[in-house]
Amino acid sequence: MLKRNPLVLGNKSLKDVTDDICAPIERVPSKEWMGLFLGAKGLFIFYILTIAMVISTGIGLLGVNHPVAWGTMIITFVFWVGIGHAGTLISAILFLFRQKWRTSVARTAEAMTVFAVATAGIFPLIHTGRPWLDFWLFPYPNQRGPLWVNFRSPLLWDVFAVSTYATVSSVFWIVGMIPDLATVRDRAKNVIRKKIYGALSFGWRGTAKQWSHFEMIYLVLAGLSTPLVLSVHTIVSFDFAVSQLPGWHTTIFPPYFVAGAIFSGFAMVITLMTLVRIGFPQFKNYITIDHMEVMNKIIMMTGLMVGYAYGSEFLIAWYSGNDYERYVFMNRAMGPYAWSYWIMVTCNVLIPQIFWFKKFRRSIPIMFVVSIFVNIGMWFERFVITVTSLHRDFLPSNWGQYAWSIYDTAILVGSFGMFFTIFLLYLRVLPAISIAEVKPVLNVGKEEDEHHGKGH
Amino acid sequence: MNNNENKIQSDNENRKIERDSTYWRSFEELNNTPEFQKSLQTEFMSSPLREESKHEGTEADGVARRDFLKLMGASIALTSAAGCIRRPVQKIVPYNKQPEEVTVGVSNWYTSSYFDGQEGLGLLVKSREGRPVHIQGNPKFPLNGTGASVKAQASLLGLYEPNRLQKPFRNLFNEKRTNKETVGVSWEELDAKVVESLKKGGVAILTGNISSPSTKAVISDFKAGFNADHYAWEPLSDDVASAQATSYGEAVVPGHRYDKAQMIVSIDADFLGTWGPTMTNNKRFADGRRNIDKMSRLVSFDSTYSLTGANADIRFKIKPSQQFDVVMGLIAEIAGKVSVSESVKTAVAPYNGIADKLGISSEAFKKVASDLVKNQGESIVVAGGIQTKTKDSLALQTAVNYLNSILGNDGKTVVAQAGNKNVTASYDQIKNLIKKMNAGDVKTLIIYRSNPFYSTSADLGFAEAIKKVSTVVFAGDKMDETAVNAHFIATDNHALETWGDTEFATGLYGIHQPLIRTMYDTRSFQLSLMTWAFMAKVGPKRIQEFETYYDYVRNLWKTELAAKVGGGKDFDAFWNGFLQDGFVGEVAAGSARTFKGDVASLKKTNSSDSAFELALYPTANIGDGTLANIGWLQELPDVVTKIVWDNYACVSLKTAEANKLREGDVIELTVGGKKLSLPTHIQPGLHDQVVAVAVGYGRTHAGDIAKGVGQNAYTLAQGDLLSGLPVEFKKTGDKIELVTTQGHDSMEGRQIVVTATNKDIEHKKDANIHRHHTWNIWSGHQYNGHKWGMAIDLNTCTGCSACMTACQSENNIHVVGKKYVMQGREMHWIRIDRYYTGDVESASAVFQPLMCQHCDNAPCETVCPVAATVHSSEGLNEMVYNRCVGTRYCSNNCPYKVRRFNWFNYAKLIEKPMHMHLNPEVGVRTRGVMEKCTFCVQRIKEGKNKAKMEERPLKDGDIKVACEAACPTQTIVFGDLNDENSRVAKVFKSEPRAYELLEEWYAKPSVRYQSKIKNNDEVTAKKGADHA
Repeated sequence: MLKRNPLVLGNKSLKDVTDDICAPIERVPSKEWMGLFLGAKGLFIFYILTIAMVISTGIGLLGVNHPVAWGTMIITFVFWVGIGHAGTLISAILFLFRQKWRTSVARTAEAMTVFAVATAGIFPLIHTGRPWLDFWLFPYPNQRGPLWVNFRSPLLWDVFAVSTYATVSSVFWIVGMIPDLATVRDRAKNVIRKKIYGALSFGWRGTAKQWSHFEMIYLVLAGLSTPLVLSVHTIVSFDFAVSQLPGWHTTIFPPYFVAGAIFSGFAMVITLMTLVRIGFPQFKNYITIDHMEVMNKIIMMTGLMVGYAYGSEFLIAWYSGNDYERYVFMNRAMGPYAWSYWIMVTCNVLIPQIFWFKKFRRSIPIMFVVSIFVNIGMWFERFVITVTSLHRDFLPSNWGQYAWSIYDTAILVGSFGMFFTIFLLYLRVLPAISIAEVKPVLNVGKEEDEHHGKGH
Repeated sequence: MNNNENKIQSDNENRKIERDSTYWRSFEELNNTPEFQKSLQTEFMSSPLREESKHEGTEADGVARRDFLKLMGASIALTSAAGCIRRPVQKIVPYNKQPEEVTVGVSNWYTSSYFDGQEGLGLLVKSREGRPVHIQGNPKFPLNGTGASVKAQASLLGLYEPNRLQKPFRNLFNEKRTNKETVGVSWEELDAKVVESLKKGGVAILTGNISSPSTKAVISDFKAGFNADHYAWEPLSDDVASAQATSYGEAVVPGHRYDKAQMIVSIDADFLGTWGPTMTNNKRFADGRRNIDKMSRLVSFDSTYSLTGANADIRFKIKPSQQFDVVMGLIAEIAGKVSVSESVKTAVAPYNGIADKLGISSEAFKKVASDLVKNQGESIVVAGGIQTKTKDSLALQTAVNYLNSILGNDGKTVVAQAGNKNVTASYDQIKNLIKKMNAGDVKTLIIYRSNPFYSTSADLGFAEAIKKVSTVVFAGDKMDETAVNAHFIATDNHALETWGDTEFATGLYGIHQPLIRTMYDTRSFQLSLMTWAFMAKVGPKRIQEFETYYDYVRNLWKTELAAKVGGGKDFDAFWNGFLQDGFVGEVAAGSARTFKGDVASLKKTNSSDSAFELALYPTANIGDGTLANIGWLQELPDVVTKIVWDNYACVSLKTAEANKLREGDVIELTVGGKKLSLPTHIQPGLHDQVVAVAVGYGRTHAGDIAKGVGQNAYTLAQGDLLSGLPVEFKKTGDKIELVTTQGHDSMEGRQIVVTATNKDIEHKKDANIHRHHTWNIWSGHQYNGHKWGMAIDLNTCTGCSACMTACQSENNIHVVGKKYVMQGREMHWIRIDRYYTGDVESASAVFQPLMCQHCDNAPCETVCPVAATVHSSEGLNEMVYNRCVGTRYCSNNCPYKVRRFNWFNYAKLIEKPMHMHLNPEVGVRTRGVMEKCTFCVQRIKEGKNKAKMEERPLKDGDIKVACEAACPTQTIVFGDLNDENSRVAKVFKSEPRAYELLEEWYAKPSVRYQSKIKNNDEVTAKKGADHA
């Protein structure tokens, strides 16, 4: 029998666990955190101002044009939605599959999901020509006829998919946090703090009945979330796949998008976890190298999957015998945007191959760099899909280039400001590792160890 | 009020409200007086629906409260709606007393004319509530018919231009005329000063071509009165008229019957784009090619890539100095086959076999000659335009005249009797004027419709000579390059504010009706001359006796012209008929004239062996540069290059490669010591030794729009020579981004514009059309009433772009400027795609108008999340601007990419009074909504309403969409596909050349194209598996 590594290092007692995890919430923030937070917040404010400019002046400030009518906002939207996938996958699917290693990363991965979806959710709203009328995208009872939405439009499916996903994953995240919030409440020495965490923990007292209910609801929510992991990005991919544009109209898109989403999501989890490990060294005992390695394996596997999709797209384009389809793919690899295609291939397919080597899978600096590359690559994947398909389609007279402007950069960079502002706040005010879930797995590796030893 | 409510009310009235007296607020309450009871019942006095007079004090709460709540709901809805709906807040007032002829909401059409110095057009001008808003060709007018050039249509904007002068001005100069101050003056002051100066004698008038008999009469009266000289000069003048004078005895630009010719040879005469009456030419040319079994052949010897060259069946690239060689070579080739005098034979002998020297296949050249011989009396040889203003210009024209004469074309296809005698302005005349000014013989110079400060080169010496003139009076509507150098600016009306008449072909008179009363304190040039003659009390009686120019025109017609063409009718009836039809008279029939010129002694003088030759040319949209300040024209892509907002130096690919030039690299041209820096444009199909530059750009004083657009290429001319000049160039290292509306010039082997040759279609009319097997899994839409469709015959489309401007004017399409066109944000609903075919060296061009295809299976409709683009019961793909949120998904999903998005609030940028040109029948789109061709749904509605009012079914042709109406060649046909007999239905059903664009994508467009036929006797090589 293979030796199982302990999930929590450092011979932690139950109290240690609580102390370690609650520590960042209960102490004055470090200078480093303050620095990061102010930076992120500055970027966030810059982002808000950019959005205000775009909304007040017109979407024309960005590079979107004729023929490339979707650009940075849609690309970045898909990027952030994709990022969100790892969280739900870890917290829901791995939960259903009883993967115990998920416990220490689930909370933060899921927080990342919620924040990434929030960041993403802004884009479809502000990318429209008249954002103040975005409520028309929702089927609400109205006095305009009543005028109903077009249920045939993938964009509408998108509205439902993303809002459902945002709702369910936030509920799942918040519900999962209730016992931990109660712990923070119980440890609170300050009255206001007690009140706030008291309210957030919904009167949790930790009775057996409550635990029973809690575990049931957690299971149900996990069950609800699981199909969403697959459905959201499937539906996001429909935005493209249901259209009739060569390069978009592809049946491989749903699995390809889901794989890509998980790929990018795990890369972002790695990015964030390496940062968390640096910021809160005591977390190293909970988010161990083993955790990171497991996720790196997933990155490598999903990287191969997207690589397969890239290849398959070319094969099908050739096999279809369709001129337009063939041209689009040749143009991707060799046209004016070939650089973006090759960035994508390099970052998403080639670089993750380094994880075939255990040494690199377990090296924090290497995985950090790789995860950044994957994030870049996955942003470019959406760029390649959106821009290169649109910029040269059927009639050559329509051909054009995306008119990248400074606002595109501002929107892209600014969205990270939003994400990191929320994420950094989260690290400070909510338990970043699930106390209640880590405690039961404290003995995982150890038990087996002892057991193993006894056998001899 | 229902019974129930009544009951409640009566209950309330009967019931005394019982009060507890432990706690009381007032003595009234304590005592529970009747007054208090009453006040209790009416406690909520604020209800707006209380019928106080009726049931004062007894009104039941229940009713009022319910209504009150309703009202509250309504007002909340109103206030919230007011917050988010863009409602106009200004008051609108209907006509108090309705003017005669005008019905609010109904447009009136008036006949009028347009003349730009070269081309004359009979027009219909649409007026809404007293504002001219759209210009179309007058279909009945014998010359241009429906065709209205882009310039004529866009001249509408000139009326509303904010840069127009609004009153007379005076420029005060210092001694050296280097510094000045512009001050406004009153007409009285200006008239007094001008007349004072006129009385001193030495009066000269400089104008462009004058095509109006009345204006000519005023000028001649004025000349008689002041003993003045009149000089007519146009910057685009060539030597056609002068050569006609020497060859046949009369200066005239003959009427060319391209419709009657089987073989047309153009030597740099861009008759479809820029030379002569282009709309008439387009119409006639298309008429000669509509029947594909007997279509004409156009051979073009082209030194620029002109629109005519682009439409040619066979195009040869030459350089300007070779024009004369070509004509002499042709004469030499045919000399044996038609009777030619011995002296001519000797004279042309050296030109035998010239083709090799010209770099043209001698076989092809011989074929051109033999085709000419084959079609004697049914061919045209034509040369003209400033591209031919070389040293050999006159010799070239004489040789052309001779060639037409010996081929028997004169009087048949080249009809001087139906020509235009009013376009005979020449460079000689301005040279004479300059001579006279230098001699000090001109004391007062009146300049009208002419801008020599801009459009002459320095070595002509106009600017120097004018310094010797003590009083310069400028009659125009802009403070342009010439106006700033004039002492007085007698601000002229816009053409649409002025009465007038025209004679565009001998014996064919047109009326020029004003469409609007003068908007500002301006006065027509003609009235100015009349006023000055009146004040000085000189000249014939008629110039002094009338108070308005209208009276003068009418009088002239009554006393002189009506007698010629009136047919003895009562004058008032004649006049009304004239105004209604827009013209009287007819185009005269022709007869051959005797050629009196001397061909035998024609010698080529321009034997420049320079490495590169300059060819200046006008563009179809900007022309001589007069209308450079009109945004529609600047943003209209050049008909061939598709570049907007710039001029550039065209060089061939080989030249560019040899000199390491890339598109947009700035080169410095040097012509006879004069320098000009321009960006490079690599033009396929250009002669390797030609540098072609468009004139009309680089206006400095045309207004805000033209400022900084391109460079003034007139400065490169050498006096009156504009072409064939030796030019050198060197790369400066700068780069100017040239902006084109077309992303790619090749069809990449796709079935987009299907081209076949006359040989291909001999056996199979639908040659080269690959038909796709398509099928459907749903039943499709039902169209029980009308089903609108459009047929576009690519074989007659010349790419003249009149439809684009028509659409822009009809549908209030915004101009976005160079920067945004560069970003791919132009707004045109219809565009003309130009694809090059063949190799780069000898690229041939095809055109394709493209607008929303109104697909039956419209991909845009299914993807809009808010159903803002929907299918109508008549097959239109409708765009609901109000509902559009602006996701732009429709554009992404449109295979034709014909949708345009309002990236910014363009409507807000319309400067007053430019808003007056907007068509009130079409909404101005707000920011953030998608827009596209509607098939002119407003015109469809108008046509349907009209038929309904007249209680008759709609006829084919009742509805003419804007692009169709402007098309000179009837390329675009719009109609009802459910009407079996409509022209479109016939094309859809039985035209073998008809095909759907991207048929295999199965969007089922409502537009069908008909394949283009090149009449070049070649057979298209069959491609293998050409198309999937």
